[in-house]
Order: sequence, then structure tokens, then C-alpha cells
Amino acid sequence: MPDALERPIESAVPTPPAALNSVNNWVPHRLAMRDAWFPLAHSTGVGPKPVRRSIYSQPYFLWREDGKAVAAEFHPNEHATRPASPLTGGTGRYPVMERYGYVWGWFGNPEAADPAHLPSLPFLPPKGGLPGYMVGTVRFDCAAPLSLENLIDLTHADFLHANIVGDEKSESESVEVYSTSETVTMVRTCKGKSVAPVMKFFSGIRQPTQDIRQVIHIFLRSHCAIAYGRFSPGDDVPLFHPCVPETRDRTRLDYAMNTSNAGFMFRHVMPKASYLVSRQDSSMTSPQSPRYMRETKRRDLHSRFDAAGQRYRLLMQDLAARQAEGDFAYRDNVSADCSDIIGLRKELFVY
Amino acid sequence: MTNQVNVLWWTVARSEEVTGKKPLSVDIGDQPIVMWRDKQGVVRALEDRCPHRRAPLSLGCIRDNGWIQCGYHGWSYDGATGRLTEIPNMKDDQRFPPLYKAERFAVAEGGGLVRVALDPAAVPPAPTETMMPLSGTAHVTLDQAHYVAALYDDPGLLLDIRGVHFTPYLMSELHEEDGKLVMERSCQWKHLHWPAPFSADFPITALTRSDPVTGETELTLRDTDFNTLLSAVIAPVPAARGVTAIRWRCRIGATRPGFHAKLLGFGAPFRVRQTIDAAALRTLKPSASRHGEDLRAAAAA
Repeated sequence: MPDALERPIESAVPTPPAALNSVNNWVPHRLAMRDAWFPLAHSTGVGPKPVRRSIYSQPYFLWREDGKAVAAEFHPNEHATRPASPLTGGTGRYPVMERYGYVWGWFGNPEAADPAHLPSLPFLPPKGGLPGYMVGTVRFDCAAPLSLENLIDLTHADFLHANIVGDEKSESESVEVYSTSETVTMVRTCKGKSVAPVMKFFSGIRQPTQDIRQVIHIFLRSHCAIAYGRFSPGDDVPLFHPCVPETRDRTRLDYAMNTSNAGFMFRHVMPKASYLVSRQDSSMTSPQSPRYMRETKRRDLHSRFDAAGQRYRLLMQDLAARQAEGDFAYRDNVSADCSDIIGLRKELFVY
Repeated sequence: MTNQVNVLWWTVARSEEVTGKKPLSVDIGDQPIVMWRDKQGVVRALEDRCPHRRAPLSLGCIRDNGWIQCGYHGWSYDGATGRLTEIPNMKDDQRFPPLYKAERFAVAEGGGLVRVALDPAAVPPAPTETMMPLSGTAHVTLDQAHYVAALYDDPGLLLDIRGVHFTPYLMSELHEEDGKLVMERSCQWKHLHWPAPFSADFPITALTRSDPVTGETELTLRDTDFNTLLSAVIAPVPAARGVTAIRWRCRIGATRPGFHAKLLGFGAPFRVRQTIDAAALRTLKPSASRHGEDLRAAAAA
């Protein structure tokens, strides 16, 4: 019985039908990005023994040789029943690099692999080393773009995650959206918003309301996001939220939340809130996902609060359309320091 | 059924179930079939309907010479041709026109499984030499198409492998490979462990290779070192009234490191469920099964 897959590089990039190039009846299931770095594992999760990951069903086996991470198409014990794919240039080894506490694997033309295409994560130590309680893994049985759309639509949090991040009540709220060909950024500013219960209980905030500035910054091609919240009174909570598409409808999220600057209780508890929040999100994205597998004539409705999500859909479709035409070039730099874009208080994250 | 369907080979019985002592009644969809072994031990399959007065031949008996005899008026048939061979009390005048015969079906036996094609001229399937020692039969009140879809979307609803929990997470989504629909699902051992949605790695996977038309599926359970812990073949066949009849065979792997893998070596570690949790089935999200539909449609095109 053959042990693994042989998927030609082209098969991962289906051509989106031109008629569907519209944000309100998109088919995220069909959007697959090539020539990108994907954070496959926390550095601490890769040792001498191979661990297995996948991107769009393509197998990635990660281990260390002389302390250096390698990413291979075949398990060392595997009786290869197929030749190495174009994704490894026939060598069986993918381009791999290690930064920010992650092992990143390249998915695409190996000759195009370049550290310049690695997303900028200025709040994570470049050489890794965050304590174990700040990192973890959560999974979603949905398409990765749905998980990212869920993230960039922060208005859902007031309902789905009200018991953790607070309800929808605030004195004022504004949403701004910025984008490049490779990123989309959403900035949500709320004044006088109900204090997040998790901060009330674990950061000891006694005021009834707080001002918040939340930024979601998505690197489209790598399916990675930065979720950065600045709470006043409260803490700075930057989260790295990668959504690795293990298959077209299964998503792996090896997160890292840098709570180094928060108080003892909040620092330890907040990263683990991901377990609760992810299950709440999954309760919606899991049933959503099959409904976005195929084209439909029924268009989604939207409100002005969906501007960021709409932009995300549009940019993803544009990028996929470019890739379908064979254009895999990066038109914008994703590795340039994005501290200013996300409004990072740099003094708190000096490495 | 169309002619295209008639040339399909359906696994309707395990070798142990077909004997020379008692006829076996099975069906493919609405087609009733009687099976038995003749004097040479060859499996024969005829329509389970005596052409005389339409009584089920499976209610009859197998004669010492290997013919099947209807239990109603004692008419006997030769399984190799379906021809009527004897009518009791006709003594010496036992010659019958060619019209006097039961409908015959093609049979192929291999690997401990008996396959039948409704078209007697169907091209025989590739021979299966390996015999898996463990086997069983189950009938479920779910039609075959939905059964196969559930097998793709959540095999845990249909199969029970000792100590194995099928997670919703995949190493490989359903795709076509050498004419089969292949996928690989991450699994956990059933014991105290970090919940699947929060697990970085899984100790085992279930690799399945399914026939795109019949849904017959080979399952390989293997660990992260690529040791095969268990192999099984699961054959869901459409039976009458929307029932699915499942025959299966299973073999335990030779190298099974670890406590839970070793436990597979005792008793009956593999079971096809006779009852399905309907509430769970109703809310099961279609995912791999939709890929299956797309792949079948692409193949048909």
C-alpha cells in the first residue's frame, strides 16, 4: 500500500473561476497559496525524532540533524513509493528556516525560497525562547481562510467570546482597514468598552470600562496573523496566530502569546485562554466550512463592520488569481519590521 | 441497475460464511442472491429465486453432488451454469430446454472474501492472495452511499478499533491515487491525554484507500515510525431496504511497540459497529465525503 501522496505542485493551486471573483460568494476552500513560508512547528517541538506536519496534504517531516532543523518529504523509515516532488526540487528536502521560535517550511518552488518572504513578528524574540506557557497548539476543522476571516472580524468576539473578552457595549467604536498586496491590517479602537472579564479577574482591573486598540495584521500568503491588543487600563497582549492549512479544510494553529510584560497571573493565564476561545470559534467555523466548499449563487450579506473581512476576501482572491496566472512574485515586503503598522510599543519588546 | 453497475464486484460474503452444507442468502441492492459451495468447493451464486414457482432457493438445501435444490418442489440446479438438472419424480426424462435455468452470477474468491458481479461475463478482479485471519459481518440500517460518506467523514461512528480514537484532523485529505480514494486521519490512543484539538502531535494515523465506486476500503493503522499496527479491509455492500451489509477482515501487525499497540494483539481488537449513533451522524459535517463526490464526478467526466 503506498504510504504517502504524490501531489504535483500545480494541483495545490486550483484556478478560481472568474465568475466567482466576488467577495460575497467566494470559495475559500479553493484558495491555496504557493511560494510562502509556513510556521510548521514550535522550535521546542522539533528534536532528533521526526515529527509530521502537512501543508495542503503534502507531508513535511521535521527533525534535527546536529541541532539544525530539517524538513523532509519522507519519513526515514518510509519505503518511498514515489519520487520526490517538485516542492523539494526532487531532493526530498524542503527549504527550511528557524526564527521567532518556529520552524518554518517553504511551500512552493524551492528556488524561490527566500528569508525576505518571512513574515515580520517584532514582538517575538528572533531566536525564540518564550516560556512554554506562552505557546501552544489549537486546531480547527475548517478551511484556514475561514479561521483568519473569523479573526479579522473582531465584532464576533463580543458575542462568541463575551465571557472572556467582554460584551459589545462601548461608548464609541471605529474600524480602519489598510492593506498591501500581501497583507491586510485592521485597527479597531473602542472607548469606554466593558472590561474584559479575563483582565478583571487576572489583572485586577477594577474600573468598569477600558479603552482598547486591537490590531489584526494578516500575512495573506503564509496564512499567519498578528493579533495585538493594547488595553488601557490593562496590558499589551501580542499574539502570533498562524493558520497552517494542513488540508484544504483543516487548520493548525501553533500560537505564541507574548505576555512577558503582564502581571504574574495574567501572564500565565491569558495564553491558555486560547483553548477556550478556539473551541468557541470552532463551534462556528466548523459548521461554516462545508458551506464554503463549493460555489453558490447565494451571496453572503454584509454590514459596514465587515469591511476588514471583505478586504481580506478580496485580497486573497486577487492573490490566488495572480498565482493561477503563474505570477508568484512578492510585490510587497512582508519581512520589513511591521512594528509601526501594528502600533507595537517597541520599548516593551526589545530583543 | 445499469450494465455498468452489473460488472462491479461486490464483496457479499466471507469465505467462512459460504459452505457446502447450507445455502447463504445475500443481496446486492434489490437483487437477492443465493450462494453455496459445490462438490469441488467452488463458490456458486444464483438468483435467490426458483424459476419454477419463485421460491427462494436459499430455503432449500445443497445436494451431495453440489447442486442446489429448491425446498418447495425439489427442483435442482447446477451452480456452474444455472441450468435445471433435475425435477423429482421425472425419473429418466431429465432433459430440459436451455430456458430452464436460474439466473447465474459471476463469483471470485480470494483473500478470504467472496465477490459477486451480477454480469456473469464481468472481468474477474485481481486475485488477492493474503488472508487476514480476523473477520466479521455487520448489517446497519443506513444506505451504502451514506455509509461510505460517514466512513470518510468520521470512521469512529462506524468502526471500533480497541483503544483507538479517530480525531477530526487529517494528515492528508481525500485524493485520488492509483484509482483509489486515499486519505490519512490522525488518531489518538484512548487514555488520559491532552484533548485532540490542543494536541501538537498524534501517535497514530489511519490510512484508508477506498474503491471510488464500491466503497470497499483498505485501512492501515500505523504509528509515527511507520510501523503497521493493524490492517483491515471493510466492504460495505448495498443490501435490500437501504440496509448496508459489511464484511470485513483484519490482521494485526507484527511490530507493535508500546502498551496500547501491544494490546491490539489480544482477542478481537477490530469491530464494525452494528448500530450507528444517529444523533452524531445527523450533525456530522460533510467534508471528506464532498471531496469524494468531487473526485468521483471528475473521474466520471
